[in-house]
Amino acid sequence: MRTPRFLVDITCMLFWAVLLFCAGCSQRPSEREGVITYWSANSQYEQDLAKVVVAEWNQLHPDIPVRHQPIPEGQSSEEIILAAVVGESPPDIYSNMWPGDVEIYVKAKALVPLSDFSDFVSVADSRLKPELVEEARSLDGKVYQIPWKTNPIMMLYNKGVLAENGFAHPARTYSEYLAQAKALTADLDGDGYTDRYMSLLDIRAIWWQRFFDYYTFYVAATGGKTLMRNGRPTFDNPESVAVFDFLKTLFKEEYAPLEKATGRGDHFLAGRVLTRFTGPWEITHAEKFKPDGFEYDFAPIPVPDGFEGPVYTYGDFKNIVIFRTSNKAEAAWQFAKFMISRKNDHRLLTMTSQIPIRKNVLGDSLYQEYFQENPMMMRFARQAEYVRGIDLSKAMKEVFDAISQEYEACVVYAAKSPEAAVHDASKRVELILK
Amino acid sequence: MKAGLHKNKKGKSDKIGYLLVSPYLLHLCLFVGFPIVFCFVLVFHKWDIVSEMEWVGLTNFSRLFQDKLFFKAILNTLTFLLVHIPLQLIIALFLAELLNQKLKIRGFFRASFFMPVVVSGVVITILWDQIYAQDTGMLNLILAKFGMPKMRWLTSPELAMPSIAIMATWKNVGLYIVLFLVGLQAVPKYLYEAADLEGASHWYKFTRITLPMINPTVYMVVILSTIGGFSLFIEPYVMTGGGPMNSTLSAVLYIYNQGFFFYHMGYAATLAFFFAAIIFAVIMIQRKVIEKESAY
Repeated sequence: MRTPRFLVDITCMLFWAVLLFCAGCSQRPSEREGVITYWSANSQYEQDLAKVVVAEWNQLHPDIPVRHQPIPEGQSSEEIILAAVVGESPPDIYSNMWPGDVEIYVKAKALVPLSDFSDFVSVADSRLKPELVEEARSLDGKVYQIPWKTNPIMMLYNKGVLAENGFAHPARTYSEYLAQAKALTADLDGDGYTDRYMSLLDIRAIWWQRFFDYYTFYVAATGGKTLMRNGRPTFDNPESVAVFDFLKTLFKEEYAPLEKATGRGDHFLAGRVLTRFTGPWEITHAEKFKPDGFEYDFAPIPVPDGFEGPVYTYGDFKNIVIFRTSNKAEAAWQFAKFMISRKNDHRLLTMTSQIPIRKNVLGDSLYQEYFQENPMMMRFARQAEYVRGIDLSKAMKEVFDAISQEYEACVVYAAKSPEAAVHDASKRVELILK
Repeated sequence: MKAGLHKNKKGKSDKIGYLLVSPYLLHLCLFVGFPIVFCFVLVFHKWDIVSEMEWVGLTNFSRLFQDKLFFKAILNTLTFLLVHIPLQLIIALFLAELLNQKLKIRGFFRASFFMPVVVSGVVITILWDQIYAQDTGMLNLILAKFGMPKMRWLTSPELAMPSIAIMATWKNVGLYIVLFLVGLQAVPKYLYEAADLEGASHWYKFTRITLPMINPTVYMVVILSTIGGFSLFIEPYVMTGGGPMNSTLSAVLYIYNQGFFFYHMGYAATLAFFFAAIIFAVIMIQRKVIEKESAY
């Protein structure tokens, strides 16, 4: 007897449904195979580093195998990690965590408190300055992240043009910067359009853009203060007003273009912009694409006139975390300690051109050869002694969004005075934190 | 046999139909029905995706009515619609009328006008970002040739939204040209022949024959443009991020930011429901007005 067609259809559908159900219920690969899953950033340099580190670990510890996987592609690594946590499929260990997101995961009980490991204090003390450990401490008093690497924001400047115009050194203060801007911003061909700007700042009110202008300048102007203390905003102060005023002057005097940096390639390497505020990743790019004879260098962020003391900057930290879904947290911690060993920090430096967050990087003999061969990276290593991250709060994005809105109104469009903008931003942040 | 009953030869109710539509029903329930119900549940909760949901009752609604930025975003969206819909209608109808004539390379023109519709929205916005660029953009270079000052197309709070509306019109006009062409080709030829015998002018024929006859198409274009305009997202997201000074912050972009930047899922859901109600009301008003107009 012939089987009715609809029975065949139902059987097929049931087969696929059961298959999908089984796939959904299957164990995570790491659980199935007893390995630790490690996600790195997905840049080629970091993938190469991770492969070397993992290969060595697996050779030394065949009983605790680690499998490396770059974080899957997406709009941002933060979104991918969020999706993985929500889907209860994060890796065991992740090395590219933005500290601003840590509190969200702490509240959701998604992270392992590293400070609960018996040797955490000795590991942290041997590697980090005490203030960095405190900066990484969450609101509940525990530490869920181990600071791993930093990309300090510094002033990239066109050394050749400054020297040609009689400026022996880059600007150290706001006055010096504005004097150089006045002298060097120019319409070179006389067509009525400015061909060379002193600065290039992002005019969009996108929260994370403020890390590279307002926040970096604020950290520098205050000698290393962050925006909050005990969960309350503390940035409604003269230093903050001075930063807003300085940046506002750049747009008002047209030393910075009031437009998005689009088209015509790299404005800095093309000589259309003389300074930018950026990190060490620019070195690789500049070395690859700079025109013949182009001279550039990095200097600390300009500070208000009369400022004394070391110049701090925003450190753009990326840290290592272990997720609570891991059933091998102890083993993952062993691997994390291996990752931040002296030898692997040297690899991080040489293979990715990023500064490991560790005491005495400049004084350690292991790193000397690299810094001698890469003098520009030495500037970043020196600056790394004076870096700050961001405050730990669940609402950091909203805090920076509020500042961005006021920044746009005051600095970019001059619709508010710096005093009013800073005050309003502080009020907004206070409301957000409530 | 009563109409409407589906029975096979043996007189049994034919259940195979239900089986055949079941994959679509399953899809509808999973990907449309469930999200709507879940979104409605979120309206009464505070939820940041990773933590437990927290019941907040009507707090999200009270926050909504105090949220000036959301109402600014709605106003921006309405400003966009005010520029976009008339521009879209007039240009699409004008070009459709031209393409309805016997041109030599009509097919080429039809394909050209439709091209932007099938290109990705992100690609189009990146392209127009370059065209609108202040120092290097094509538009300002043309203005400079005529000795005119540079315009801040995307960085002026006054110009940014109209600039986006022009770009959106350019992208979508091809679709509406096709719709109008279908409408125009359905107008009986004898009406024009009769008007020609009476010595009617081209304008007279257009206003007295063409427009009334394609009224249903006009209605459809207005509704589609309105719905498309209310969902304005990609253009400000890619080109301006909602700036300058929130002048291009559309309602959908604001809802997206609340949900996926700040993880205020409950509040974003509340905004989404409120905004959907506004769209529904506007569409109903449009429908009443157009039905009244076309009751000739």
